Amino acid sequence: MDLQLTAAILTGKLFSIILKLKGSGATAAPGLYALKIDKNLVKKISSKNTLKSIVISGTNGKTTTSRIVFDIISKKYKVIHNRQGSNLLRGIASTMVANSSPFGHLDYEFAIWESDEAALLPISQSINIDTLVLLNLFRDQLDRYGEIDTTRKKWQEVVKNLKPQASLILNSDDPSVNYLAKFAKCNKTFFGVETTKIDLPSIENVADVKFCPNCDSKLIYQNLYSAHLGTYKCSKCSFIRKRPHISINTITFNNDYSSNIKVSVDNTTTSINYQLPGLFNAYNVLAALTTAVSIGINPKSASADISKFSAAFGRYQNIKLDDKNVLLFLIKNPAGANEVIRTIAINQKINLLVILNDNIADGRDVSWIWDTNWEALRSKTLNITIAGTRAWDMALRLKYAGFKIDTNNVNDDLNSSIDNALIKLSRDDTLFVLPTYTALLGLQAYFKSRGEGTWQNQ
Amino acid sequence: MTLNICHLYPDLMDTYGDRGNILTIQYRCKQRDIKTVYTPLTVGDKLLSDYDLFFFGGGQDKAQEIVGKDLASKSIRLIESVENGAALLSICGGYQLLQKYFKTSDNLKIPGIGLFNAYTKASETRMMNNLLIEINPKLLPDIKNSYQSTTNYEPSTHKLIGFENHSGKTYLEEGTIPLGTVISGGGNNGEDKLEGAVYKNAFGCYLHGSLLPKNPHFADFLITKALEKKYGKVELQPLDDSIEWRAHNSSIKIIRSQG
Repeated sequence: MDLQLTAAILTGKLFSIILKLKGSGATAAPGLYALKIDKNLVKKISSKNTLKSIVISGTNGKTTTSRIVFDIISKKYKVIHNRQGSNLLRGIASTMVANSSPFGHLDYEFAIWESDEAALLPISQSINIDTLVLLNLFRDQLDRYGEIDTTRKKWQEVVKNLKPQASLILNSDDPSVNYLAKFAKCNKTFFGVETTKIDLPSIENVADVKFCPNCDSKLIYQNLYSAHLGTYKCSKCSFIRKRPHISINTITFNNDYSSNIKVSVDNTTTSINYQLPGLFNAYNVLAALTTAVSIGINPKSASADISKFSAAFGRYQNIKLDDKNVLLFLIKNPAGANEVIRTIAINQKINLLVILNDNIADGRDVSWIWDTNWEALRSKTLNITIAGTRAWDMALRLKYAGFKIDTNNVNDDLNSSIDNALIKLSRDDTLFVLPTYTALLGLQAYFKSRGEGTWQNQ
Repeated sequence: MTLNICHLYPDLMDTYGDRGNILTIQYRCKQRDIKTVYTPLTVGDKLLSDYDLFFFGGGQDKAQEIVGKDLASKSIRLIESVENGAALLSICGGYQLLQKYFKTSDNLKIPGIGLFNAYTKASETRMMNNLLIEINPKLLPDIKNSYQSTTNYEPSTHKLIGFENHSGKTYLEEGTIPLGTVISGGGNNGEDKLEGAVYKNAFGCYLHGSLLPKNPHFADFLITKALEKKYGKVELQPLDDSIEWRAHNSSIKIIRSQG
């Protein structure tokens, strides 16, 4: 018996009981303390058990994709998932500790681990990965992650060290992700978008990748879907987008923020209706479906589960407050925020609340708001309210985007700002709320105080 | 009046939100009925016309490498323009490329164009902070003269606030004028408390944020310098900068509260 491991597991379990009693949502803490007692806890538990590990990473969409994969796979198998939040090693440790016996035994068939992009390398050194899903790489919190190339090089190491029996699932449309294929010894499956008809307002975009990851020459794009996602090839060497095995051939975005995609798997088309808006969610659904198919789940049965999926907290969420609607869209970097802006720009009358925080989890640097295309919402916005620790930076950004800013509607306090924004709405109107990550946590508390706390345990 | 703006490598040096500087110059000119002509120049383009104001932002390492190779073809003309009084604002990567050289971690010297008598050395530590500086007193009278606002309260036109994110350490050679002294943050190198460099009407610094939106005094100072090259003494019409100064002041407050 490994006493150190058992002590670590029991301590972690004790912590999670205490935290639960205190009503705290600190999901990383039990894992953090367990790792302090046994730093090899994740590695040890991972090697003790035969469950298959699916690890999902990427700048945008990893939470939503992991949750969809869970919803599909958990219908057939016993699955654990770091669903409660932390996607660092400590979050995985927390989930393992909560679900394991005191001796580290996990009575599950699959594990789904959402992984922070910078944490993927250390996580891969502790987990025996069976399936690795890589979604995309965008610039995000440069003060935390550094440049895209830095993260891509870390991922290269991860991919190189995958076991030959593993399965690697890659986004064809992202050059940095597509490029990783050449480092893998294992089986590779590509997903991507094969239609140029994307019925959303087009907006000026910032591409974070312009050069061939192989030879540094300029990339030539045939089609550009969003940021640097599209169909491309190198202007010099043989690097080219891989033809996806599983692809979206038609996308329809509906006015009620639901969507339909037609996906081709092995020359058979599956039609999927789901309750999520925007191109980014089409990619999330596609990635989840590809993952499910790769472990042998039938596309038709997966699509039935996808159609019942509802969004992860804050990643497009509809909340009813009295007789008004609130729609939440998390924003955290230019690529993601631009897609959110495109998605809501289909409306002609928008009531907007933007909450910009600069806490560590948001990124201290808020320069990115200047690379985000707020101009696309200008002519459609009726009322604008601005909140957060960086409310005045945001107000200034919107002023220079041509919005009329009333300084009475700019306030660093979150609760009074939502109240203020809601007062301006008429019955059945919708308030679009765009918060950064820690602002989203603040909103969670706000909705809970208004008796709308039902999704805190999602 | 017309202001000719040249944006150097906007397609490559576009990673750190520096685009806000161009938006600010355009917006503030438009409010005053000053026409702006915007010209982006990238790899392979020739620098031909006479521009009044150059902007050169920061980019990812790989982009900076590619730009560095191309910049040599534009350097004579660019230096000539600055010598003739054109205004120039360069930030981070752009600032580094306008110096004498960049010394890599393997002690390799990559030559720059030497507009600023300074050089940068690669380092292992990254300076990622809110950056607050006190503007060089030599520049203050000019800044004060070129800036007026209809805002009620007295704007503090002697500071600049932004965000730095760089691992290169810049050292000014003897006689090079710094843009200012560091109040909070790293600045040029995190050692000598200096930030940025000045040569005639050309400025280099590490201030992202974007810099000009929430430092309107510096924006107007640059616009004035750029216009005066063509039109002689220029007096800009004052604007309502209350949001600008609130963003400026709240950013300073954040530095103080974050310690």
